[in-house]
Amino acid sequence: MDQLVTNLGIGFGVALSIQNLLYCLLGVMLGTLIGVLPGIGPVATIAMLLPVTFTLSPISALIMLAGIYYGAQYGGSTTAILVNLPGESSSVVTCLDGYQMARQGRAGAALGMAAIASFIAGTFATFIIALFAPPLAEVALKFGPSEYFSLMVLGLIAAVVLAHGSLVKAIAMVILGLLLGLVGTDVNSGVARFNFGISELSDGIGFVSVAMGVFGFAEIIGNLEQKGEREVFVKRVANLLPTVQDFKDCAGTIVRGTLLGSALGILPGGGALLSSFAAYTLEKKVSKNSANFGKGAIQGVAAPESANNAGAQTSFIPLLTLGIPSNPVMALMIGAMMIQGIAPGPQVMTERPQLFWGMIASMWVGNLMLVVLNLPLIGMWIKLLTVPYRLLYPAIVLFMCIGVYSLQNSPFDVLQTAMFGIVGYVFVKLECEPAPLILGFILGPLMEENLRRAMLLSRGNPMTFVERPISATMLAISVFLLLIIIAPTVRKKREEAFVEE
Amino acid sequence: MQIKNGKDFWAGLMFMGIGLGFMIVSRNYPMGTAVRMGPSYFPTVLGGILVTLGAIIFLRAFVSKIRHTIVVFPFRWTLIVAGGALGGVVYSAQSWFLAMGKIGALMTYGLYGLALFLFIGGFGPRPLFIILASVVAFGYLLKPLGLVLATAVLILVSAWGGNEFKLREVVVLYVALALFSVATFIYGLQLPFNIWPDLG
Repeated sequence: MDQLVTNLGIGFGVALSIQNLLYCLLGVMLGTLIGVLPGIGPVATIAMLLPVTFTLSPISALIMLAGIYYGAQYGGSTTAILVNLPGESSSVVTCLDGYQMARQGRAGAALGMAAIASFIAGTFATFIIALFAPPLAEVALKFGPSEYFSLMVLGLIAAVVLAHGSLVKAIAMVILGLLLGLVGTDVNSGVARFNFGISELSDGIGFVSVAMGVFGFAEIIGNLEQKGEREVFVKRVANLLPTVQDFKDCAGTIVRGTLLGSALGILPGGGALLSSFAAYTLEKKVSKNSANFGKGAIQGVAAPESANNAGAQTSFIPLLTLGIPSNPVMALMIGAMMIQGIAPGPQVMTERPQLFWGMIASMWVGNLMLVVLNLPLIGMWIKLLTVPYRLLYPAIVLFMCIGVYSLQNSPFDVLQTAMFGIVGYVFVKLECEPAPLILGFILGPLMEENLRRAMLLSRGNPMTFVERPISATMLAISVFLLLIIIAPTVRKKREEAFVEE
Repeated sequence: MQIKNGKDFWAGLMFMGIGLGFMIVSRNYPMGTAVRMGPSYFPTVLGGILVTLGAIIFLRAFVSKIRHTIVVFPFRWTLIVAGGALGGVVYSAQSWFLAMGKIGALMTYGLYGLALFLFIGGFGPRPLFIILASVVAFGYLLKPLGLVLATAVLILVSAWGGNEFKLREVVVLYVALALFSVATFIYGLQLPFNIWPDLG
């Protein structure tokens, strides 16, 4: 416990420096600003704003990125409540009751409750991270290459399980991602692979280009293709604070949502999406008010919002302790850490305690800023929602271009991004979910490296993966997960769950 | 046999093609052994898995319960053929172009770009190829033309690529964005861009 206090002390010392407070604030603001735009979720927002952080020191950059993440998530909820357009899948559930509340003139209460529920959940999740990260990191230090390899298999399988639609396509996307990740110079032999004589490709395909092309450009083009009218529901939003009765109604909901979200967030492949779905379903079962769910029940807003924020935060645990991203947002964070010259993994905590604890403390600070800032600023976000898309998208495209170009001041990166925009469009048309691809892309080189080491250590005996207990357990869980979704009953349920969206 | 799910049909072909491509290119690198894996080991295995998965998806297209037409993309054959033909001509005449020195090399790049543009225009919706063309143009024009003019190209062309285009509105948008970008990115974030064309 003493250790915890000292550690958090270090963290808050870093996070509360004027400079880092400013970056956190800037991140939260920018994140909300972009996240509010309909159709742009946290992944696209982070990919777009990533280059802004390159010139910063690693700690400030990560603090700002974490801020962008929370901001984007909150911005997505705002759009969900006011326009009934989820910025990304995890705010889908918020739409259900949030939009109904807005139609009944209670948009203010819904927005306020979303912010407060998120903050409470965020506070709790911050403590969970501070509590569980150190022991997990210690376990992780004992991991050998076979454990790492199996862990990555587990992470990828979990990502596949949670992808929408076809299972086979999701696995194919993971494999494709792994292959794309291998483009560039092979570390062991120095052979430049799959670069087709293009010198720019010998360092590999740019991660930002892939993410921004597939999530950013493809998204914009998809939006332009659906010519449908956007029905912006904007009335004057008054009474931002929920009533005392609302708080009484939601207290239990927030506690349950937070606990569930924190637990699900730690799982590889978990995070915000799964958490918000699970919390809403649970609440619908337990709540006294369940008849009103879907018709504007405030618990229907509090449950997913607390759960998705808790899940979003605890999904940092596998990233910080194992160096394994559990969802595309975390994959982007890993990309950012690598660009800053930090190899993610258990050693970060011991070697760079300032960075590790500073980031954790800043998560709480970021959440606090969201509540304090967004409640008064809500009017501005609403104004932004009324700007027509035909004026928004050229601006978004411009900022993405400048961002990509500034990575290395190279036009080739821009070209690459445009190519991945086309690829992303094709994926959307063929109903291939891009999230597993991004995870595979990040893990490709790591997996190859660990596979090689494990095989070298075991003298070519593949049994090493099942003979070592930790590795075997993780592989067993992966197989189990796969079997579960192949099983006909679950398959049916899963289809229903995704159809409900 | 009838294709029931057009999306699976194309996705299967895509995955098989890419997997096969990776396996073929991998043959250029040393394979190594299971103990000491060479650079081609892991990609070859993954490529094989991808081909298998692609084949499953492809075959599923014929028995699927989900119906999608085979026309997933708006094919415009003339553009696809024109793009392919232009690319082929430039490729075979490459030595002739390169003999002209630097200008020839630039011309080959330009013509390849045009060929690619036509080809992509063959199967994408209008916004896809117009916006992405403006993006690529921005990337290559930023250094020679400077931020202000490159932004003009990007904003005007990409706005024109959308569904509604009102010139006056877009000009106002452009002026605002150009001022904002110069202030934020060049003066604020100190990015090393030219503001105006580099005449020196």
